Amino acid sequence: MKKTIIGLNLKYLLGGLVASVLCGISVFLPYVANGNDTVIGVLAVVKTLSSGKGVMPIVLLIGIAASLLMVVAGIIMAVKPNIPLARIWVVIGIVQAASYFLLLFGSKSMLDSSGILSKSFMVKNFGVGYWLALAASFVALFLVMKVAKINPGYIVLVILSIIWLFPILWIVLTSLRAEQGYYVGYFLPKGFTLGNYQKLFSADSSVPFGRWWLNTLLVAVCTCILSTLIILATAYTLSRTRFRSRKAFMQAVLIIGMFPGFMAMVAVYNILKGLGLAQTLVALIVVAAAGAAMGYYICKGFFDTIPKSLDEAAIIDGANRWQIFTKIIVPLSKPIIIYTIMTSFLGAWSDYIFPSMVMGDNKTWYTVALGLYWMTDFRRIDAYYTQFAAGAVLVAIPIVALFIWLQKYYVEGLSGAVKG
Amino acid sequence: MSSKEQKKDYLFQKPGPVSAWKYGDIFSKLSCFIMGLGNIVRGQAVKGVLFLLIEIAYIVYMIRTGASSIAKLTTLGTQQQGLVYNEEIGIYEMSQGDNSMLILLYGVVAIVVTVLFIALWYASVAAGEEARILKGRGKKVPTFAEDVKSLANENIHKLFLAIPILGILVFTVTPLIYMILMAFTNYDANHQPPGNLFTWVGLENFKNLMSSTDKLSSTFWPVLGWTLIWGVVATFSCYFCGIFLAMLINSKGIALKKMWRTIFVITMAIPGFISLLVVSTMVGKNGIINVLLQNWGFTTEALPFLSNPMWARCTVIIVNMWIGIPVTMLMVTGILMNIPAELYESAKIDGANAFVTFRKITFPYMLFITTPYLITNFISNINNFGPIYFLTGGGPLTLEYYKGAGKTDLLVTWLYKLTKNSNDFNLAATIGLVIFVISATFSLITYRRSNALKNEEGFQ
Repeated sequence: MKKTIIGLNLKYLLGGLVASVLCGISVFLPYVANGNDTVIGVLAVVKTLSSGKGVMPIVLLIGIAASLLMVVAGIIMAVKPNIPLARIWVVIGIVQAASYFLLLFGSKSMLDSSGILSKSFMVKNFGVGYWLALAASFVALFLVMKVAKINPGYIVLVILSIIWLFPILWIVLTSLRAEQGYYVGYFLPKGFTLGNYQKLFSADSSVPFGRWWLNTLLVAVCTCILSTLIILATAYTLSRTRFRSRKAFMQAVLIIGMFPGFMAMVAVYNILKGLGLAQTLVALIVVAAAGAAMGYYICKGFFDTIPKSLDEAAIIDGANRWQIFTKIIVPLSKPIIIYTIMTSFLGAWSDYIFPSMVMGDNKTWYTVALGLYWMTDFRRIDAYYTQFAAGAVLVAIPIVALFIWLQKYYVEGLSGAVKG
Repeated sequence: MSSKEQKKDYLFQKPGPVSAWKYGDIFSKLSCFIMGLGNIVRGQAVKGVLFLLIEIAYIVYMIRTGASSIAKLTTLGTQQQGLVYNEEIGIYEMSQGDNSMLILLYGVVAIVVTVLFIALWYASVAAGEEARILKGRGKKVPTFAEDVKSLANENIHKLFLAIPILGILVFTVTPLIYMILMAFTNYDANHQPPGNLFTWVGLENFKNLMSSTDKLSSTFWPVLGWTLIWGVVATFSCYFCGIFLAMLINSKGIALKKMWRTIFVITMAIPGFISLLVVSTMVGKNGIINVLLQNWGFTTEALPFLSNPMWARCTVIIVNMWIGIPVTMLMVTGILMNIPAELYESAKIDGANAFVTFRKITFPYMLFITTPYLITNFISNINNFGPIYFLTGGGPLTLEYYKGAGKTDLLVTWLYKLTKNSNDFNLAATIGLVIFVISATFSLITYRRSNALKNEEGFQ
């Protein structure tokens, strides 16, 4: 009895059915086993629904219902396979896996409040029935997706996305939280407010966040303009012209770049002090621009790929090097210019160490990185945590938007760095 | 004129001090002492005067401070701050004393200025010789206006590199030399200027760090070991998981590829210090992760994510993966698409499964392309300041280590702490040199492998 149906992969049908049946059986196995207190899945539903509060008993009910439906759908599929039913099977599988997964996190509160168990409940007190249901539900989902020819990679992607977005969600929620303080015993805020954002910008606040934000913007804009000009000029010279000490210059930059940057910071600070620039924003701009030429490498790699015949043709037409640079190379290098602007702009936003060295305790000229770090100091974290979250969101939003907008160029620059 | 004759002809020598002594006239020879003379006598007055002014400025600088700055370098100061008996008035007076740190800094500045001056001196003699040779050939010697104009053409490298080189000299090279020299002094917490002097100690610091049996070397070796372990684990964990993630998103049948990628890219777009600070507040003792784990019934008490050495090391590695995997994913995506599709088709016909295709096709291809990236990534991980500093601050601290160093400290974070907290600049500089040696070794491997600098004309 070998059937083939386009759009279905019946090889996995039997496996999916077995996993579904295992899930169905698990409902009648011990759900909790805490010493002598043993409750099987079906009974747990009855008991918790009658006494428990919150959504978790309903999740448990949905999970068990889905397990039974999985078996039914599997049997029908075995008898008469068809595509719409396979899709429905997948949906039930998702519901089932999601509910058992949620129960992993919700069972404690549910069981503690419902009075099923006399003792306090721990995850390790789950009975064999629960673990079987959890494992079988994911295996079943995997196989059922295979049957329906849907890439099971979605399962992994969804779980990974949750892990990746969890801290971001947490900080956004914290920034909107009405209850102040660092320590809270729950994930979702009890009350929402925009007050944390308002406080950052109120005049009497000890946290001049607006000022910090503008400081950083100023530094970032100046740095990215100067650095980009310097990097372009250096890369063009090293790519397009040949002069005596060119190789020596490149090798010197390579070697200097191998020293850890922190090492020289104290000396740079002393030099800035000698120049009268300590504790100013100009110092940040000057030092960033002064070191910019060291990062010529990726840009030069890009220039190297622009055919030299273009230069030669231009020279025959009477152009000089300056004109070749401004009229030929620069217009052809949009991706790498955007990459350079972007990295130096973003670098200014996230640099912490050097500004902290230069600014010391002069809070007026802090950049956002310094300011946010100042707020998370253990002496202040309790008072400022929600404002810190709001500040973090305000810094992250424009940068993430910029990054996603220009992502294409970033990838191009990155792969340029790989080839190098 | 045949080429043989050309070679003999003094006019075709490479212009410079050598040609000036060998073939030049009296003015050429004198131009080795009076900069710009060679230009002035050959009609390039402005250029020559400029060179002369540079020489005068240098001499004035050397007489006023430069020479004594260099001379003082040998001792780094002899007069300690303290009470000195003043015979005229007959009382003890507070004397300022020498400041070893400033002496070292000014000495380094004087040396850099001198090196710069020597380069300019060479250039001036060469310029004079060039003018002489042009004149000797009967050609026109360029005027100052023409020289300026040439900056936009054949001499554009002088125009374009002047500011970058100046910037690197002032803000990178000078500080670096200053700090490298510091590794050979005893500028530690007990020798702080202006109250105390410090002086040269040779290789003492290196000896203390590496071979002595006291706390210092028993801190250095474990920190170095953890730095290398961290470098390897952080690099490869992000690399393999990033490849896996990129392949997953690229695989057939995944819809909305762009959306999935964006989800992961968000974490890498957020400035590193923000996401790290957020995560570090999340995994603290009262942080949300511990709260949730207890609410969910996974543990009964807070887990020591940052306070137990082993846990803290695992935490920084995992959090680093959270940040680093999207970077690799983004980078690898393009490369994966470039792998010839025929390879996969023929493998499929031969009956290879997904794992075999990965092991035999995808992975070797990836490794071939990304080896230089892997090595540079390893180096940057060794110097990866952020995850350690913002998450654990190097902690948990331990009494086994030299003051300030903690169990998750890398060499760079230890270096930073030594400069910022305990003012042991000599040790910081020594560690910096050790990091340089490690980076240089691995860079050399990349450099030899990638051929990028050797064959730069290759694909033009």
